[in-house]
Amino acid sequence: MNGRLPRPDNARRAARYAALAFLPTSLAVASGAHAFTITLAPAAPKTVYFQVGVGTFTGTYCRRNCTVPPILQSGSSAPGTNTTINQVSVSVSANAVGNGTAQSMTTDSTQASSFFDGRAFCTLPTQLYIGGYYRTTGNGANTALVTATLAASLMDAAGDTIPFSQISWTSGGNGDAGAEPFPAGSFTGTSIGVGSIAQNHWAESCWTFSYKNTVVPAAGTYTGRVTYTISAP
Amino acid sequence: MRPPSVSPFCIIWLAAAAAHAGTVVDDSGTLPYNAGLAMRWEQLEPDGSGNHRMVGTLQLRVRLNVAPWQRHNGHVYLVLPAQQPGDISAAWTTQGRLLPGHVVAGSRALVYAGLITTPFIEDVVQLTITVDGRRMLSTYPVNFRFEMDEN
Repeated sequence: MNGRLPRPDNARRAARYAALAFLPTSLAVASGAHAFTITLAPAAPKTVYFQVGVGTFTGTYCRRNCTVPPILQSGSSAPGTNTTINQVSVSVSANAVGNGTAQSMTTDSTQASSFFDGRAFCTLPTQLYIGGYYRTTGNGANTALVTATLAASLMDAAGDTIPFSQISWTSGGNGDAGAEPFPAGSFTGTSIGVGSIAQNHWAESCWTFSYKNTVVPAAGTYTGRVTYTISAP
Repeated sequence: MRPPSVSPFCIIWLAAAAAHAGTVVDDSGTLPYNAGLAMRWEQLEPDGSGNHRMVGTLQLRVRLNVAPWQRHNGHVYLVLPAQQPGDISAAWTTQGRLLPGHVVAGSRALVYAGLITTPFIEDVVQLTITVDGRRMLSTYPVNFRFEMDEN
C-alpha cells in the first residue's frame, strides 16, 4: 500500500503542472484573439426634398413591407431635380376689373399625384402642389422652414404694377384632415414663411390661389415670380 | 515563497466562466479588420410607417483561427455585444463555410457547428448592419467577435 502512495501525489502534481501549463496556453490564445470593428458613419445624415408644382422623384424604395434580413435597397433611389417653373394665372375680363369679386386662379402644373404615396392629391388645374420631406439623424424635434421670396408687386411691360398682396391662397388636399403643413395665406411681404416640415416627416398641401381684384390697374399682362426656399437646421 | 494557494481555484473558476461565455476566437486574419461603413437611409422618403432605419453593407473575408480546437466538435458564434448607438442588428450571407444568419445587439448567432477539421475556417461574408437613424448622432465603432463553445 505504502509503495503506491506516491502515485496519487505524482498524479496531483502532474495535474497541477498541467493546470499551470494550461494557463499560459489559454492566455496565448486570448491574446491572439481580437474583435473586428466596423465604424458606422451616416453617409447622408441630412436630406431635404421640396417641390412646388411639378417635381421629380426617382428610384425605388424599401417601403412599408420592408423586413430584415436581408435588406434590399435601391442604390439609385433619390429625389430628382426639376427646373420647371410653373405658373398660376387669371385673366380678368374688362368689365370685372376692380369690382372686388375675387377671381379664381389656375395653374399649369401637372402635378396631381403625391410622391409621398402616389395617390391623386391635388385637383388640377385649380390646385398647386407644395410639399417635400426633411430627413436627419438623431431624435430631435427640428423643422425645416419654407420661405417665399418675392417682389412687392407684379409688373407689366410698361412698368405698371399690381401689389402681390392681391393674391392669396387656401390650402387643402384630397383626403386631408386637420391642419395643413402649408396653410392658407397671402403675399403680404417680400419674404414670408409659408410652412414647415417636421424632422423625418413628409409634408404636403395643395394650394388654391385667388386674385382679390380690388384694384384697377392699367390693361396689360402682369407677372411676378415667387421663389420658395427650404432651410433645415 | 509559495504560490498563493488560491491559484488553482482561480484557474478553475476562469475556465468555468470561459465555458459559459464561449472562448473568443482569434479572428485577426479577417479583412478588412477595422472597416468604415457608410450608413444610408433604408427608406429615403419618410412615409409615416416609422421606418427610420439606416443600413450599410460590406464584404468581409472572415478567417478564424480554430487550430486550438482542431479535431474537436465545436459551435462558433458571431457575437454582437450591446453597445452604442444601441438598437443595432446585423444580417449576413455566406458562401457556405459559415452559416448565414441574423443577430441583434446583446446576443450571438451560430455560424458553425460540427467537427473542426482545419486550423482555419474561412469564408466571404456579406454583412448588412441596420441601426435606428434617430440614434445616429455621430460615428460609432461597432465591435463584433467570434466565440467558440467546445463540445
